[in-house]
Amino acid sequence: MTEDRFERVLRDAARDYHRPPDQTPREEMWRQIEAARAARRRRVITLRPALRWGVGGVGIAAVLALGIALGRWSAAGPERGTRATAARGGPDQASTLAYRLAAAQYLTRTEALLTGFRAQSRGAWDRRGGATSATQLAAQARDLLGTTRLMLDSPAANDARLKSLLEDLELLLAQIAQLPASGDREDVQLINQGLEQRSVLLRLRTANPAGPGPVRAQGAL
Amino acid sequence: MDERELITRVRAGDGVAERALYDSHVDRVYRLAYRLAGDDELAREFTQDTFVRAFQRLAAFRGEAKLSTWLHAIATSVILNGLRKVKRFRRRETDLDEATGLVGGRREAEPDLKRRLARAIDDLPEGYRAVFVMHDVEGYTHEEIGGALGIETGTSKAQLSRARAKLREALADFAGEWVP
Repeated sequence: MTEDRFERVLRDAARDYHRPPDQTPREEMWRQIEAARAARRRRVITLRPALRWGVGGVGIAAVLALGIALGRWSAAGPERGTRATAARGGPDQASTLAYRLAAAQYLTRTEALLTGFRAQSRGAWDRRGGATSATQLAAQARDLLGTTRLMLDSPAANDARLKSLLEDLELLLAQIAQLPASGDREDVQLINQGLEQRSVLLRLRTANPAGPGPVRAQGAL
Repeated sequence: MDERELITRVRAGDGVAERALYDSHVDRVYRLAYRLAGDDELAREFTQDTFVRAFQRLAAFRGEAKLSTWLHAIATSVILNGLRKVKRFRRRETDLDEATGLVGGRREAEPDLKRRLARAIDDLPEGYRAVFVMHDVEGYTHEEIGGALGIETGTSKAQLSRARAKLREALADFAGEWVP
């Protein structure tokens, strides 16, 4: 058989490879895109007062405390030397602090979610109200997934260790977000295994040792 | 509205222009995402992510390439990175299945050419698969593939040729069916 004939047969057969539906789900995807962009705009708007707050020096101690907490774990070196100048409030430093602030808040929320998930997975799904909790966990995970993506796209991900942690968190959050209300045992086992094997909770706690209480209620990123 | 005007209007925050840009390209991006992911949810997610990033980065688009090339570069990056993560997750699943003895002897007989071909395409190295799917399945030119994947046109041709060779090898036992 000739090469041409093979290619023809191949191309004919390949047309059915992962054949997409005839209609692209345009409207549904457009709604999701608009929602994601609106959420991003809201986060950016919320970030601005945080920047002013940092530059004005009113809450700088709290911001610095968070920066230091993260700094203990994140890249050693240049950042150590910039903390003092950051307090004087150049825009770049303020922006760095804002990202640190956002990272701290995000890590705290994620740690809380994963801790909740582990507690839940130790039998709570079998009890009454378990389904509600599973649904809540999935909703929180979906919410945090968006922030994870933003964090991965932000300067916070310049730190290799933070980036690696964020990538692991993205995977875990995606798994939790897709959990059925009944908390499928195999899925739960997989997630727990991922948590264990990658030492995710330990790395989360090392990344954010003190737990940034002052910013828990804010949406800084 | 020509492309340059469309971009200017999108940069100025014109919602109608944003939608027009989306409508012009979404079918192709979604089809490519679907072909590579083989899953509707993933294809939607990758397509959405592509456009969110594109709108976010359009200010940095210098117009040196065509908008569709630039958009497809974002799309292929989103899709291939996303698929790597999925693969990592599935590998964990497989490891767990193997550890718990859920996976048996594997590989049942697959007499159907299309199913065998699908599996053979899935098994291609990532770059070969992307080029094969884009060229032979979705009809992209080598220039478009080169622009989207950031490779030379010649590399795209070479990868396609190697992909076909690998598929031919994988499907050798079907050779009799190709004889007219």
